[in-house]
Amino acid sequence: MNDPNVLEIKGLNSFYGDRQVLFDVRFAVPRRCVTVIMGPSGCGKSTLVRHLIGLYRARPRELFLEGRDMALFRREDMNSYRRRIGVLFQGGALFNSLTLKDNVAVPLRVHTRLAEETISVIVRIKLHQVGLSGFEDYMPSQLSGGMQKRAGLARSLVMDPEILFVDEPSSGLDPITAAGLDNLILELCRTLGVTVVVVTHELDSAFHIADQMVVLDGGRLLAAGTPEAIKNSGEDRVVQFLERRAEAGREDDEAYWRGLLGKGSFKTHGGGET
Amino acid sequence: MMMVEPVRSLGAFTLLFLSRLGRMGMFLGRTLRGMGQPPGKLRPTLKQIHFIGTKSFFVIGFTASFTGMVLALQGYYTLSQFGSEGLLGSAVAMSLIRELGPVLTALMVTGRAGSAMCAEIGIIRIDEQIDALECMAIDPHSYLVAPRLLAGLVALPLLTAFCDVVGIFGGYVVGVELLGVNPGAYLQGIEISIVWDDVYMGIVKSFIFAFIMIWICTCKGFYAGLDEGSFGPEVVSRATTDAVVLSSVSILIGDYVVTSILL
Repeated sequence: MNDPNVLEIKGLNSFYGDRQVLFDVRFAVPRRCVTVIMGPSGCGKSTLVRHLIGLYRARPRELFLEGRDMALFRREDMNSYRRRIGVLFQGGALFNSLTLKDNVAVPLRVHTRLAEETISVIVRIKLHQVGLSGFEDYMPSQLSGGMQKRAGLARSLVMDPEILFVDEPSSGLDPITAAGLDNLILELCRTLGVTVVVVTHELDSAFHIADQMVVLDGGRLLAAGTPEAIKNSGEDRVVQFLERRAEAGREDDEAYWRGLLGKGSFKTHGGGET
Repeated sequence: MMMVEPVRSLGAFTLLFLSRLGRMGMFLGRTLRGMGQPPGKLRPTLKQIHFIGTKSFFVIGFTASFTGMVLALQGYYTLSQFGSEGLLGSAVAMSLIRELGPVLTALMVTGRAGSAMCAEIGIIRIDEQIDALECMAIDPHSYLVAPRLLAGLVALPLLTAFCDVVGIFGGYVVGVELLGVNPGAYLQGIEISIVWDDVYMGIVKSFIFAFIMIWICTCKGFYAGLDEGSFGPEVVSRATTDAVVLSSVSILIGDYVVTSILL
């Protein structure tokens, strides 16, 4: 527990079939900090997070949890790690057949022997925390996308996780709700000491909450450091991303025409959609 | 080069077939192991019994009554050529209890509940809910699949029994009321000709068909889109079609195998 870094990524490579989507990615997730993973669409952010939460297995000596190689985890190790984390998926991933309160109560009912009254109090507190008091008996389909996402956050917080992973917190939300979510993430980190890993491509939100930033491009680590260091980075692609400049013009017209005619490969930047 | 290509395709096909088969086997193994794990199975199993069993009553009753009626109609004209109309009850009951009851029930439940089950689990997959379960350290096999398998094993034999009774009654209506077969002969024919072995065969078949149907339908939904690497709605429709076709074919093949073993 004294290790300053919760997770260490020491040269992570990832493949979909023959296609490589992450190339030798290296950084660490410091304890009790907000780490933001940024990058354009399809750069491998979501794949990276899937490795961090154990949905994709890393190869040996690539990914370490508090010094232990996650590739060597057995089922019990993975389950005990997962009881320490909370994950908010992009769409909220609520169970459609359950009401909001039942959705949030699922982890408590499976992993604890708490009385129903206690569970119901905890659920109400968590839903209040994300601004959804009074919606306990609604079905997910009766809620807007933003509300579903906040309910998903309530569910990921219900076991009081040590590490919280959030995939695209502000996508599909109005600016006010998005800012509220950002503040909630900050509050969790500052007051409760939760380690937070956020995946986003919203620059304002990223600079608002980040203690550390990681920028990916085409599956490769472009830059990692404090928000100031990233802002002052001289790297072309980082500057382009931060200044929201569109893709530069085609470098090779001949390759472009060959691509259109199906003769030879099309020259592009970045990787495929993950 | 021309020689290599067919061999390569055959090899690729065999590998794919074996890997799918292996995956289905592991899926079943995890589901069976998940039956004994938390969360409790009683409530979700009862809910699924309601979905698979209770809600199928009407369609099974409808199918069974018309099957019994047409069996009586066909049987009557065949038997009357030999002057053996009195055997009608035994012919109808024998066909239903040994063969048609379990097979028809399984096929109808595949169409009504198996397809819905596959689509539901497929949507859960593409909506990242299975990932969410895994991230909460909840085994999705135990949480999603085990209650459905248990419910199928309870509901299908009961539905099959219901199908048999309604079918025999349908045969009675046509044979006795419409065609004038002696009611006593119809019912006594059943009593004399049906022995425990016939009922046993029907029960064994319904358990096996329930197992095959739920296994295939839940497995297809569970892995929807994983092979294609895409998670759009089209993968759910494809998985559902595959599940219904594969379940139906497997039930018919299974019927032949079980009959040949138990006869």
